[in-house]
Formats: sequence, structure tokens, C-alpha cells
Amino acid sequence: MDDATNSLPGPERPVSAANRIGVSDARRLVDLTAAPSVGAYLRDVWRRREFAVVVPAQDLRAQNMDTALGQLWHLVNPALLVGVYFLVFGVLLDTRRGVDNFLGFLVVGVVLFHLFQRVVQDAAVCITRNLGLIRSIQFPRILLPLAAVNGQTLAFLPALGVALLTLLATGERPTLRWLLLAAVLVAMYLFNLGAALVVARVGASVRDLQRLLPHLLRLLFYASGVIFSVEAFVTSEAWRRAFAINPVYDLITCARWCLLGTGVERSVVIGLVVWCAVLPAAGLLVFRRGERRFGS
Amino acid sequence: MTAPGTAVTVRLTDVHVHYRVYEDPSAGFKQNFSQGRVRRRFSVIKAVRGVTLDLHESETLGLVGANGSGKTTLLSAMTGLQPLKSGTIRGRSRPALLGVSPVLRGALSGRRNILIGGLALGFTRAEIESRMDEIIDFAGLRDAIDRPMRTYSSGMRARLNFAIATARIPEILLIDEALAVGDEGFRTRSAKRIDEVRAAAGSVVLVSHNMAEIERSCNRAAWLDDGVLRLVGDPDEVVSAYLASYSSNGQSGSG
Repeated sequence: MDDATNSLPGPERPVSAANRIGVSDARRLVDLTAAPSVGAYLRDVWRRREFAVVVPAQDLRAQNMDTALGQLWHLVNPALLVGVYFLVFGVLLDTRRGVDNFLGFLVVGVVLFHLFQRVVQDAAVCITRNLGLIRSIQFPRILLPLAAVNGQTLAFLPALGVALLTLLATGERPTLRWLLLAAVLVAMYLFNLGAALVVARVGASVRDLQRLLPHLLRLLFYASGVIFSVEAFVTSEAWRRAFAINPVYDLITCARWCLLGTGVERSVVIGLVVWCAVLPAAGLLVFRRGERRFGS
Repeated sequence: MTAPGTAVTVRLTDVHVHYRVYEDPSAGFKQNFSQGRVRRRFSVIKAVRGVTLDLHESETLGLVGANGSGKTTLLSAMTGLQPLKSGTIRGRSRPALLGVSPVLRGALSGRRNILIGGLALGFTRAEIESRMDEIIDFAGLRDAIDRPMRTYSSGMRARLNFAIATARIPEILLIDEALAVGDEGFRTRSAKRIDEVRAAAGSVVLVSHNMAEIERSCNRAAWLDDGVLRLVGDPDEVVSAYLASYSSNGQSGSG
């Protein structure tokens, strides 16, 4: 409505009895129902950023609080995850073809895919699970998918540790290229954030998404070359290029290039850069268009 | 009690709030599809229908009305949580609904919940840490603060919720049935905190079904009936008119 909305004092504005009376009549009333501008919105998100870190961190703690292994589960869980995949695909089905260090190859794919999968699953319910909060406190709703991404990223760190240890144990030696993994992880964070924003918006209005997601994610799992080398299994050049459209495949392939020195095609790098630049911005737009209807 | 001023803190003009609810279809599968298309299974609830109301400085407004008359919807509209169908709400600052309970985690200790609840309200971590002891003392939970919240009694939980929610007092405070919590000592402390808002020329809206409480702590009252303001004025008059409608109808005027 007008610009005054942007400088709207929050509900937590401290009350000072001294200066209120007298000047009060002059104080303007601003429209309380107008949506804030993008700038004001993002400033508010920044001011409240700690919410999106502390709350998911506390939730992670709470998750394993009443188990015997306690916080150790954050390490045991990814180790078991990789162990089961290795048993099924490395030993029983043998999809190792064309891969020197299959366990190392597998562990990188599995932990990265698992991170993406958990982010999407969490984002899909982050609005519906927090309806009570949404209905009682005014805050930028984007903090909820942001918290989902942050929480899963925090949970991913021990898994990353397990993956790196596995690589060392299977004979890989750190090279300077390992440092580039940091760039891939930043790209992954941005991509996850964009995906979370889109999924959160859709999940808030279409509850069926939660039923559909496991199937979509399983399809994506096979299309991302987590358990097999696309280079070795897919012979057609055109099909290989089609894989590059899949951002999760791009991320995993780039991470493997950093850590294992496996091949990476130019189309994969381009795909990754485009996805990570476009999706977060698109996600922000999509999410903001829907967020005022959440909870109503 | 401070006399209410004349300056307006919040102004509601012809506020309408509608929302859609999905109905639990009672019709069978065949009926749903027999019309050749899938029936839309939501209906529109006209919860607030043209409310015009001013809140003033140093005023506590009691909002009364039957269940489902739109009181809670009106409060959420004032916080900006519920989009309006039409009308305007203008104010000095954004009113805050008292309470943070939806964000609190049963598995975590009271202390950690103060941190989480405070962050949800927009405090920084440093601000919460600096007020931690004050909040714990206000809630009267010194001994239990490091125990998981699920071990608390409902009164203890309500005290914790209130203490966090009022750690910094908003200028315009909306309270939905929250005061009748805790023991006598806590009620006195919480009533004092509400008075602080008024003393600082803020406004309070209190939704309650406890008529004695409305008469005791409000200087004005409004009766909301099926989304429409029936009567606004002196608390005693509004309460008696509201109660009289029950005895004459036998039942509430609205659903």
C-alpha cells in the first residue's frame, strides 16, 4: 500500500511509557495487511536467521535423545545406509562395472542423494507440520523450508565424515581437488534450498505430494547414477547427455570428480551451474506467491 | 486502572474474513461422481462479516461471543495471519498474539524451549540468553527448567508459554483465552504484566469465556455474534446483554 509498511515496527517493539503520550496522536497508522516488499522480507529473514539454525539443530538433538546410542546415531545411520547399499548392489547384484573403487563411488553417491531426499521430504511437510506456529506467529514463512534445509545439512555433516573416512580406508588419497568439493557442496546447498522452496509451496496446498514423493524420489535415485556408473552402463551419447539435465546426477558426478577423479563431461558442469543459479531464485518467487495463504 | 486515552492504536474498517474449509464428504463414492464431474468439496466460512472497531491507548478490550462466532479469526486477522476478504486494518505496529506453544518441543528442556520460543518470536539468541533467568523466574520453573518439557504439568507448560511470549511486551497484545492458567501467584504476575502494556499506552484485546474476568480486567467490551459486532461498550452492559441472549434463546445465537 505505502512504503511505511516496510518500516513497520515488529510486535516486539519495546514499550517506553515516557514518550508515548503526547506524540501518540501524530503517530501514523500503517496498513497491517499489506505484504512487505521483497527487500523488507529478506531483511526480516536475515534478522531471524538464528531461528533457521538453532531450531533444526535442537530437533536433531531431540531425535536421538531416548535411544541407547544417542547422538552417535548421526554417524551410525549413514554408515549403515552405505553398508546396505554395498551389500545389495556391490555384492549381490554387482553393478560395479567400470568402477575402480566401487565402495568409494557408492558412498559419495549415497550420502549426497540421501541429503537431497531428506531435504525434499522435510520440505514437503514443513508447512503442514507447523500450521500451529503459522497460525499464531507472524514471521517470514521461508524460515521453515530454510530450517528444513539447514537441519538436513547439519545431519549430513557426520555422513560426509563417514564418506571421507570410507574413501581413505579404500585407498583414496586426498589431492588438491578434494578442496573443490567445498564448491560442489555450496552448489548443493543452493540447489537444495531452491528445491525445498518449490516443494514446500506445493506440499502446503497439495497434500497428495507426500504420497507421491517416495515414488518420484525412487525414480530420481535410479536416474542419478547413485549405484551404477552412467558412463559404463549408458552407451548412447544422446542418453548420456540427457542425464546431465538431472541436477542430482550433476551434483553427484561433480563430487565424484573431486574425490575420486572419475570423469565429468562439460554438459554436467553446465547443467549444475544453471540449476544452482535458477532454482533458488525461482523457488523464492514461487514460495512467496503462495505463502500468505498458508494456514488459511 | 489507567483511564483509556483517545488516540487510536488499531483501526479496523469493515473487515470481512472468509476462509475455505474442506468438508468431510458424507456422500458416497457414487454420488460424488454421478454429476459427471468431481464435486468441489470445500465450503466458504464467512467468519467475520463487516467489523468496524477502534482500539485506543491504555485500553483493554474484552471480546465475547459464542464458540465459532469469529473471535479467534478476528484476532488472527489483526496480526496479519489471516488474509482479509475486504476491509482494512491499520495500526501503529503489528499486534502480537500471545503464546508460543506451537513451537515448543516436549522432548527438549524448558531452557532449550525458551531459546526456541524466543527465536520464533524474533529475538536474537543473545537477547534470549540475557533474559533467560528473568524468564525462568517469571515462569516460576527454577527447579524444573532443565527437565524435558513433557514432564511438566499443564499449568507449568502454560506458565512457560506465557513467560516466553511476554518476555518483551508488545505495544498491541492479543490474548486468546490465556489468562486462566497457573496457580494464584502466577495469575497475579501475569495480570501485572498485562497492566504494563496498558500503562505504556498500549492496547490489549482479551478473548475470554470467563465473564467475571472480562468485567474485572477490561475497560471496554465487544460482543461478536456470527461474525458481526452486536454491541460495543461498557463491559458490564455488554456482558449482561450477551448473557441475556443465552437465557432468551436457550441456545447460542450462532454455531
